[in-house]
Amino acid sequence: MKARRIAELAVLTAVALIIFIIELQIPNPFPIPGIKLGLANIVTVYAVYRYRAHEVAMIVAVRLLLGSIFGGNITALIYSASGAVLCLLGMLLLRRIIDERHLWTASVLGAVLHNTGQMAAALAVTQTPGLLAYYPFLLVSGCLAGAFTGLCVQFMLPRLNKFLEKKKE
Amino acid sequence: MKHRIVLTVCIALFALGLIGSAVVLLMPKKSTVVIRRDSEVLYTFNLSTAPDQTLVIPYGDSSNTVEIRDGAVRVKEAECPDKTCVNMGWLRSSAMPIVCLPNHLIIEFADADRGVDAISE
Repeated sequence: MKARRIAELAVLTAVALIIFIIELQIPNPFPIPGIKLGLANIVTVYAVYRYRAHEVAMIVAVRLLLGSIFGGNITALIYSASGAVLCLLGMLLLRRIIDERHLWTASVLGAVLHNTGQMAAALAVTQTPGLLAYYPFLLVSGCLAGAFTGLCVQFMLPRLNKFLEKKKE
Repeated sequence: MKHRIVLTVCIALFALGLIGSAVVLLMPKKSTVVIRRDSEVLYTFNLSTAPDQTLVIPYGDSSNTVEIRDGAVRVKEAECPDKTCVNMGWLRSSAMPIVCLPNHLIIEFADADRGVDAISE
């Protein structure tokens, strides 16, 4: 892998971590485990549409691990990791179907997949089928949060592309 | 037109979520409450007869303080970082348990006939 490529991935990971930690400071008005804006996933969605599968996986893996250490909530890692794996697999498939102009729908499905993975992990760990009652709320919040992060990327992409082209000249 | 299909799926998921949320919120209360750690039952209460009390439930270095008052139950304090269980307030719906994922604690309504080992009846 070229040094330039590694540097790009590292910068993206750093940006994702910064967003993640800033988001931790925003109080969450919804008292349901698993509901989050997930702003750090702006970087994930961008990476899915710009980098190869293993490169995206690297960004997400490092973000998850360092995020859970910095955030001081390592027990939550199993939930976020299983969510992220499902989300990544789904989005890497979806990017073949959905072009950049409709990217936000891919982001919505990615968010819902993330919540599904989280829910599956929580069910497996706690052995409590009653937790499924949260799932509808997660669906609603996943759709909204996914649409938001997806639209962020969609508005950002043309500007970022222009900027990157200027740099190369 | 593939994105049309994807968009329809998105809308369907959102609608499903809204309907599901409404169903969950409208589930009635029951009188028997079970406090569990994963699948192990720690306490069973009958809320209509249980006296007001606070319980400290330890988990490793961490703990949750559960309060029972006026026939309702909630997590009053928690030493976990996210405090989701505290913010959930009083247990309201039989479909929606209070959970503390970091401490593996679950508080939910249960059917009365299963509460054989009720400690406060």
